[in-house]
Amino acid sequence: MDLANQSNGAAIDREGALSPARKRARRDEVQALKLAAPGILWMTLFMVLPMIMVVYVSFWTQTTFAIEPTLTVDSWVRFLTSPTYLDSIVTTLFIWIVVLASTLVIGYPVALLIGLMIRNVTLQTALLVVCIIPFWTSFLIRVIAWRPTLGTEGAINSILINLGLIDTPFTSLLFSELAVVIGMTQIYCVFMVGPITFMLARIDHSIIEAARDLGAGFGKIFLRIILPLSLPGVVVGAIFVSVMVLGEFATAAALSGRKVNMLGNIIVSQVGSLKWAFASVAGVILTIIIAIVITTLLRIVNIRKEM
Amino acid sequence: MESRLLKPALAVYLGLFLLFLYGPMIVMAILSFQGPTGGPQFPIVEWSTYWYQHLFGQISGSRVSQLPVGESLIRSLVLAVMTTIVSTVLGVMAAQAFRTRFAGSGPIFYLFVLGMIVPGVLVGLGMALLSNMLGIDRAWWSTSFVLHVVYTFPFAFLVMLAIFNRFDRSVEEASLSLGVSPAETFRRVTFPMIFPGVLSAMLFSFTLSYDEFSRTLFTSGPRLTLPLSIYGTFSVEIYPNVFAFGVLTTVFSFTLLAIYGLLMMRSVARNNQQFKGQEA
Amino acid sequence: MLALKSVSRHYGQASALDGLDLVVPDDSYVSLLGASGSGKTTLLRIIAGFEEPDTGTISLRGARLDGIPPHKRGVGFVFQNFALFPHLSVEDNVAFGLRYREERPVRDKAEVRERVQTILDLVGLEGLGRRSVGAISGGQKQRVALARTLIAEPKIVLLDEPLGALDANLRERMCDELHAIRQRLGISFLHVTGSETEALLMGDQVAVLADGAIAQMAPPDDLFRSPTSATVARHLNAFNIISGTVREGRLRSPVGALALPAGIAAPDGQPMSVALPYDGISVKPRRDEASDGISARFVTAEFKGPSMLSFFRAADGSLIQSLVHLSEPRPPRYEPDQVYALDFDPELLIAFPERAH
Repeated sequence: MDLANQSNGAAIDREGALSPARKRARRDEVQALKLAAPGILWMTLFMVLPMIMVVYVSFWTQTTFAIEPTLTVDSWVRFLTSPTYLDSIVTTLFIWIVVLASTLVIGYPVALLIGLMIRNVTLQTALLVVCIIPFWTSFLIRVIAWRPTLGTEGAINSILINLGLIDTPFTSLLFSELAVVIGMTQIYCVFMVGPITFMLARIDHSIIEAARDLGAGFGKIFLRIILPLSLPGVVVGAIFVSVMVLGEFATAAALSGRKVNMLGNIIVSQVGSLKWAFASVAGVILTIIIAIVITTLLRIVNIRKEM
Repeated sequence: MESRLLKPALAVYLGLFLLFLYGPMIVMAILSFQGPTGGPQFPIVEWSTYWYQHLFGQISGSRVSQLPVGESLIRSLVLAVMTTIVSTVLGVMAAQAFRTRFAGSGPIFYLFVLGMIVPGVLVGLGMALLSNMLGIDRAWWSTSFVLHVVYTFPFAFLVMLAIFNRFDRSVEEASLSLGVSPAETFRRVTFPMIFPGVLSAMLFSFTLSYDEFSRTLFTSGPRLTLPLSIYGTFSVEIYPNVFAFGVLTTVFSFTLLAIYGLLMMRSVARNNQQFKGQEA
Repeated sequence: MLALKSVSRHYGQASALDGLDLVVPDDSYVSLLGASGSGKTTLLRIIAGFEEPDTGTISLRGARLDGIPPHKRGVGFVFQNFALFPHLSVEDNVAFGLRYREERPVRDKAEVRERVQTILDLVGLEGLGRRSVGAISGGQKQRVALARTLIAEPKIVLLDEPLGALDANLRERMCDELHAIRQRLGISFLHVTGSETEALLMGDQVAVLADGAIAQMAPPDDLFRSPTSATVARHLNAFNIISGTVREGRLRSPVGALALPAGIAAPDGQPMSVALPYDGISVKPRRDEASDGISARFVTAEFKGPSMLSFFRAADGSLIQSLVHLSEPRPPRYEPDQVYALDFDPELLIAFPERAH
C-alpha cells in the first residue's frame, strides 16, 4: 500500500516537473494525433479490417452456395492443387513482367526526350501534360477503345490493307494476350514516364557536358551518368505499374475474350459464383505477390534517400 | 551527344508514342459517328449522330438497348462529390497533423499511402465479406463510398503534404503573434494560402472516384455506378453507342480539367505578379 | 518590464540557451547582439511563445508568459522575412490583427479604417494601402510588417534581424525611423541582430548573447568603453583579443610579450586576456626580434569608407587588425609580406583576468 502510494507520488512529481518545452511538444503531438485520428480510423475500419477479413475467410469452409466460419485449409489445398488456378498465378506474373518491360522500353526514351533533351521548360511541361491527359479520361473507355482499333475489321487492319501491306487481316490482334499487353502498356505507360522524367529533369547538364568534354560518347554518358541517376525514377515507375497491373482484371476481361485469366479475374469470377473462400485465397496470394514485388523493388534503390 | 541524329529520331519516336496514346481514342471518336446499320468497326457505313441520339433515348425501336447511363451517371456524380468532400477534408487534416513529428507518424504514413496501393478487387472483396458477415446491405452510397475514400484520401493527403512542405510557417506565427487564435489563423491565413493545393486534391479525388470501378464492383449492391454500367457492356457485344458515350464522358473530363487549369492559371498569374513585385 | 530568469532550451544534445537572464525595461530600446547560431532567434521565439523553454520563467509586467499560447501573450513579432500575408493587400495585412484577434476584436469598419490609416501614416506608407503586398519594395514590406505589429498595441515588440533583408542605404534610414517610431509609441523594442554596428546604433541598451547566456548588458558607450569579458569584446568587432599568462608584470602571449596597463597587479602565472583596440595600434617599421611588443607580417588592407582596416599575421599565425582613420595626415602604405612592429599605448589595453584551470 505504502509502496504503491509512493510510486504514484513519484509519477505525479514527474508529471509536475515536465518542462514547458516538453509540455508544449506533448500538446502538439496530441493535437497532431487528433487531426490524424479520423484518417487512421477510416483506413483501419475500411481498409485494414476488410483485408484481415479476406485472410480470415480464406480459411472458412466453402459449400456450393455459401461459406461458413468453420476453419479449414480446404480452399487453400484445392486452389494450390488446381492447374486452372495455378495457371492464373503464372499468367498474372507473365503479364506483369511483359507489361513492366514494355512500359519501361517504350516509356524510357519518351522520358529521356522530355526530361533531358528538351531544355525549354514550357515545352517540357506541355509535352508532359499531353502525356498525362489520357490519364484523366475514363479507364474503361480507354480499354474499350482498343477493340475497334485492334479488331479484325478494326483500324489497324483497315489501314494495313488499304496501304496494300497485307491481304488478309490479322485475326489474333484482338482477343489475345497481345491485346491485353498492348492495352495495359498504353494505359500504364504514363506512370513509368512520369517518375523517370522527374529524375532526368533534375540531372545537372554541366555534368553531361563535362563528360562530353572529356571525350565520352553518348553510350558511355548514358550508362555511366544518365541511367544511374534515373534509376530511382525507374523503380518508382515500376512500383506504380506493378501494383496496378498485378491487381488488374478489366483489361484482361475486355480484350482477351476470356483467354487471359489473371488472379483478379479469378477473384471476380469466384465472387460471381459465390465462392467467397476461393476468391479470398486468390486475394491472399495476390497480396503476397504484390508485397514481394514491392519489397524487392525497394531493395534496388533507397528511394527515401534519392528523392 | 550525337544530338543531330538523336534528337530528330527521338522526336519521331515521341510522335509515334503520342499516336499510341491517343490513337485508340481517335478511332473510337470516328466510329462513334457510325451510321445506324454499321457495327463497332470499319468501314463507316454512313456518317451520322445516330448513336448519340440513341444514347439520349431519342431513337425508338432500335434492336440495341439503350445504355443504362442516366441514373448511374447521377449516382456516380453524387458519389464523386461525397468522396471529394470527405477525402479532401481528411487529407487536409492528416497533412496538417504531419507537420508535427508525432510518435507513430512513420507507420501511420504507410497506413495512409497503402490505400492507393492495395488493388481495388482486394479491398472490394474484403468489404463485401465484412458487410456479409455483419449483415449490412451493400450500396453505392455506403460500402462503395467508404472504399472510394480509402482510395482517394491518400492522393489528397500526399498533395497536401507536398503543399505544406513548402509552406512558410512564420506567416502563421505572425498571425498568432497578432492575437489571432489558431483556429482563426487556419481560416484566415493557412487555408487561403493552401487553397491551390486543396483544389488539386479535390480534382484528384473527384476524377479518381468518378472513374473508379474495381472497388465498386463487389460493394455497390444492385444499383450500379456509371463505370459499372459500362463494364457490364463488356461481356456482351458492344455497339457504337458505347463509343458515343466514351466521347461524351471524355469531353466531360476535359471540361473539368480545363476549369481546373483556368483556376490554377489565375492563381499562378497572381503569384507571378507578386514575384515581379519582389524583384522591383 | 520583460524579465527572463534562468531560461534554457536544448535541441537534442546541443543547447541553444543555457540559464539565460535578461531584463528589458519598459519604454526602452534594447538590442541583442549575437553571432549566428548563438540562439538569438530561439530566445525571441521563446518570448513570443512559438517555442517553450526547457527550464526557466518568462514574465511580462509581472505576469508569467511561459506556458501561455502565443496568441494570448500580447507580444509583437517582426520577422526577418517579414512574413506578410501574401493573399491580402497592405491595408488588410495591417488590419488583420484588429479584425481577427480573439480579444477585443474591432468590428467597426470605420474605426479599423481610421486606425489603419493612422498607423500607415506613422510608418510612412500613406497611399499604399490598396497595393498587393507582392507589389511593394523590400523597405515598404518592412514597414507593413511593423505597422501590422504596432496596430495591435503589443506590450513589447520583438524584432528578429528586421533589417537583414534590406540593402545598406535603406538599413540606415530604417534604423532612424525605428527609433523615432518607438519613442512616439513608448513601448519596448527588443531588436536582435548579428551586426555590432546595428546593435550599438539602435539600442539604449545592448545585450551581448554568447554561449546561451547574456554576457553583458549596458548602454552602447559603456559597453564599448568597458567590456566585462573577452567574449563581449570579441563581439564588438573592434578589439584584437590576445590571451596569455602574466609573468613579471607582462603578458606572455603567442604573439609576443606585452606591457600591461598601470594598476593591473596580477600574480605570476595568472592567465589573462587583453583587448587591444583596432585603432590603438601604430604601425612602425620592423624592430629587432628580441625586444618587446608585437611583430607581424602585413597581409592585406580593406577600405571601410573613411577608415582603413589592415590585417597582419603574427608569428603564431593569429590575425591582428589595425584601423587607421584616413583623416590622418599620412595614410599609411604597407608592403605585402613585410614584417612591421605593432606598437600601442599599454593604457589602451583592457585586461580580463581569467580563472586558472
